[in-house]
Amino acid sequence: MNMKKYAVLLLALTLSVLGLAISAGTASAQLTATANHDNIKIDFFYHGSSVSVKGVSDADTDLVIKIAAPEGHESLKQKGKVGGTLWMNVGTLKLEKVPNLYTIHSTKKLEDILEPAELEKYVIGYPALSRHIEMSPVANDGEKAKWFDEYVKYKENSKLYATTSGKIEIKKGSDGTQQYYILTKWPYQAPPGDYIVTVYAVKNGKVLEQAEAKVKVEQAGIVKTLSGMAKNSAAFYGIISILSALGAGFGVGLVFRKGGGAH
Amino acid sequence: MYLYLPVALTSINVIIPVGLGLVVGLLSGLFGVGGGFLLTPLLIMFGIPATVAAATDSNQIVAASTSGTYAHWKVGNVDFKMGLYLLVGGFLGGLLGVQAIKILKATGNADFVIKITYVLMLGIVGTYMFFESISSMKKSKNKTAETKPAKESGFTRFLKSLPMQTRFEKSGVTHSALLPIIFGGFVGVLAAIMGVGGGFLMVPVMVYILRMPMHVVVGTSLFQILFNCIEVTFLQAYTNHSVDFILAVLLLIGSTLGAQVGTALGRKLHGEQLKVILAGIVLAVTVKIIFDLTLTPSLLLGQGGGH
Repeated sequence: MNMKKYAVLLLALTLSVLGLAISAGTASAQLTATANHDNIKIDFFYHGSSVSVKGVSDADTDLVIKIAAPEGHESLKQKGKVGGTLWMNVGTLKLEKVPNLYTIHSTKKLEDILEPAELEKYVIGYPALSRHIEMSPVANDGEKAKWFDEYVKYKENSKLYATTSGKIEIKKGSDGTQQYYILTKWPYQAPPGDYIVTVYAVKNGKVLEQAEAKVKVEQAGIVKTLSGMAKNSAAFYGIISILSALGAGFGVGLVFRKGGGAH
Repeated sequence: MYLYLPVALTSINVIIPVGLGLVVGLLSGLFGVGGGFLLTPLLIMFGIPATVAAATDSNQIVAASTSGTYAHWKVGNVDFKMGLYLLVGGFLGGLLGVQAIKILKATGNADFVIKITYVLMLGIVGTYMFFESISSMKKSKNKTAETKPAKESGFTRFLKSLPMQTRFEKSGVTHSALLPIIFGGFVGVLAAIMGVGGGFLMVPVMVYILRMPMHVVVGTSLFQILFNCIEVTFLQAYTNHSVDFILAVLLLIGSTLGAQVGTALGRKLHGEQLKVILAGIVLAVTVKIIFDLTLTPSLLLGQGGGH
């Protein structure tokens, strides 16, 4: 079982190295991307982390960095007015092909450096994402736009969606290249999983090339043990939780009696 | 200091759950309520998913009500016999309530019915308790003679005519055994529909219908809440995997202490004073919910579960 895992990992590594080598081999392609922190461990004292992305690109290109979770689905409760006065849950919004985390950082404003067709093609920016995902139930485009805006608000509120421009640091090299660097906050709200960092080198409104890096987030230590137990040995976990609570309640009761607090 | 919660999948400053636990534990020890109506929405406000907040809250109440029951038992304020009858009723009512929810969900407007039931129940109970205890405080001050017998005779006569009359020593009352079972069941149905422990309903039932003295009400209510919450915690952990152990421990550090302090404090207050304060809190929560219902929320989307 473990051997298999390692074999797959090794294969993936080899392939990605090969991929990098191939892209580095073409004439104008010098784009590289590395994330400093490709394995974030969620332990007992975890309160988010930081991820920096850096690399080298052609000197006269603009850059767009997308950090996103793999596409998945999400169900959320919709609030609406009932009887014209009371706000409550009125339905469930289902979203498909939607990343749980989606952040875009660019050297300049997206619409100033990329043609609409390119934004669409690479799903860069909220408008492109809104057309990429599927949503139900929505009666028309207006409704879809409204609920997409609400969705972005909801995700930005939990720090899982963000866009910035002009925050990527650029250092020009003498050999026609430039080094780019950005330090981003990694939100503790992002659940364990694999995240993909894609860097796009952009020129004349088009994506010239792209490079990828991975950020893996996983649980470790007590956090891993407890969350595994909650799922895999639910009955045992429930009993332990109850017994601990009973023990704590009795314990404190006894301490108070011995301490002479009660009369 | 921040800790990561393995089931809630979020990080929280430990001061928040310990502090919240302390406040809710204090209320438990004072009034015999679990405090879920207060704690669950507060936890959601601090970023805990609704389902995890409700489930973990019940785990925490196990600790707080053990601590509180123990403290009340030491001073002889737990009527175990009454507690058991109420438990039987509550258990049966809970089963009925869960079915009622299924029917409501099938009709499609469950949330509306649940919210409205919740607001009405809190509002009616809070208002009644508030005015009743104010007026009886005034009466005891003015030392006017008892005026109740004429008013309650019809209802009392009906209660006395019920079969299975039995004496509840600790509470100093005689009732049909059916009474606590039926009213325990009634609270159980409502509590299951509203998704709360129902302490704020059980306390008035014991005070006004079963006519138990306030201090015994608090101890006995905690005793039956303890068993309800053990059952709920297990079901939540087993079927929904939504109990967060770390969060529960942080909460119960505060709430077990709070329950002891509350019990000690409660012994210094009169039954009527306790009722007025509890009524005030229940009314404040009602007003808060009404605001939530009428003001435009900042986010129109949210996680499912809870309400």
